[in-house]
Amino acid sequence: MDQSPVSLAACECLTALGDTAQTQGALERGQGALELRPFGGAEGGDLVPLALIPGRPLDESSPPSWLPAVRTLMGRCPAGPWGGPRHPVFVTSSNFGVGGLFAFRRGGGREHVEFGSPEACVRLVRGELGWGPNVTTISHACVSSNLGLVLAGRHLAMGLADSALVFTFDFLSPFVAGGFYALKILNAGLPAPYRAQETGSIGLGDGAAFAVLERGEGEWRIEAQTLYNEMHHFTAFPADGSGFAACIEPLARLARGRRVWIKGHGTGTLDAGRLEAEAFARALPESPLVGWKGGLGHTLGSNGLVELAIAREAMRRGRIPGTVGTSAPTFAPNVAVGSLDGRAYDAVICASNAFGGAHAAVLLAHA
Amino acid sequence: MPDPLAAQIKQLIAKTIRLEDVDVSAIPDDEPLVGSGLSIDSIDVLELVVVLEKEYGLKISSSEEARAALGSVSSLVAYIRAHCDPSRLPPLS
Repeated sequence: MDQSPVSLAACECLTALGDTAQTQGALERGQGALELRPFGGAEGGDLVPLALIPGRPLDESSPPSWLPAVRTLMGRCPAGPWGGPRHPVFVTSSNFGVGGLFAFRRGGGREHVEFGSPEACVRLVRGELGWGPNVTTISHACVSSNLGLVLAGRHLAMGLADSALVFTFDFLSPFVAGGFYALKILNAGLPAPYRAQETGSIGLGDGAAFAVLERGEGEWRIEAQTLYNEMHHFTAFPADGSGFAACIEPLARLARGRRVWIKGHGTGTLDAGRLEAEAFARALPESPLVGWKGGLGHTLGSNGLVELAIAREAMRRGRIPGTVGTSAPTFAPNVAVGSLDGRAYDAVICASNAFGGAHAAVLLAHA
Repeated sequence: MPDPLAAQIKQLIAKTIRLEDVDVSAIPDDEPLVGSGLSIDSIDVLELVVVLEKEYGLKISSSEEARAALGSVSSLVAYIRAHCDPSRLPPLS
C-alpha cells in the first residue's frame, strides 16, 4: 500500500456518454451508451454491446479516429511544462494502437503501422500535446491507469517531481472486440454487474482520462493506493476471493468508521463479480457498492482513471450513480442498484481488476 | 463400442492443444477436461472453442455455456449432438 497522500488537483475523463459531468449525469439517470454492434466492425460478425465515442467508427483509420477525442479531453488539462524535468507524464493504456497492426495484417495498408505499436502511438500523442521527453509508458491490462497513478504518487512522495500528469486512453477496435468475443464473455447480452444470474456478459467502451497529481493537501486527496497481484492464473481468480481481500483490506482498515462508498470493478462476468461483491461486503458491510460498466462498457486499461474522474464528479455534485444495468437479485446485500445521496459520504474506494490476477484500489477523500 | 464422435473429439483436443506423449484413446470420457491430468487451462479452452465452432458449425453463446459444454468429453459429445447439423458428424457404427 502507498500511503503518502497526494492532491488530485485535476481529473477529467471522456467516455461514450460525453465529458466527466455529462457521463456522471447520464449514469445517475440510469442511462448507458452500450449499443449492439458487429464485433468485427465493417467486416461484420455477431452483435455485441459496445460504447463508442459518438461518430467514431470501430474500424481503424489513419490517423486514428480517436485523436480528436484526445485533443478535446486534453484541452481541459491544466497548462504546465508536462514532460519537463520535474513534471513527468505517465501514459497508460492496455491497447494503445494495436488495432492498427490488425488492420495492417488484414488489409495491408502500411499507414496503419505508423500508429500500431505502443511506442509509435505514444510518440503521436506526445507530439500532438506538446509534451517534453520525461514521459513513461505503462501497460498492465485493466489496471494500467492505476499503475500510472501509483507511480505518479511515488514520484511526488520521493521528491522527484513537483507535479505529475497521468494520461490514459483505450479506444476500441475490431481486434480488441474480437478478442473478448472469442473468450465468450463479450456476447449478445448486456452487462448486469453484480447481478446473480445464470449467464454473464460484459460490454466494452471507449475511454480516456487524465489526472494531475501534486504533493500535499488539496481539496481532493488520494489518501492511499493498493496494488496486489495473485500470480494465480491468466484469466481466473482463486475461488476463495483471497486476491480481492488482499487488495481491499489495507484500504478498508483506513476506511472503517468513516462514511465511505465503493465504486467496484464490476464488469458483468459472474465469478469475478461475485468474488468482488462478497469481498467488499465482508470488509466494509456498511458501505454501498456500485459499478458503472453496465452503462460505460469496460474501458479496459483506462477504467481505473476514467471511473475515478466520475467518482470525484459524483462526490462534487452530491449524487452517486447506481449500478446501471443491474437489478435484484445481486451477489451481496451492499450492491446499490439505484443512485445514492453523495452528501452522506466523504470518501470513496475505487477498485479495478485485470487479467493476470491483478488488483488495484484507490481511496479518494474530499477535504 | 466406442462412440466415433468421442474419438474424433479426443483427436481434435490432442491436436488443438498439442498434447504430446498422450495416448489419445486413454483420455477418459467422464473426467473434467479442465483441472484434470490433461492440464487444459483457460487459454486452451479458448482455442478449443474456436476450433469446435469451426469444425462443427456451432455457435457457443457465452463463457458459461462454453464451460458447461467443455466439462468432459461426454458433455462435449452431448452438446455437439444437440447443437450440430447431423451431416457434420461421423456416422454411428
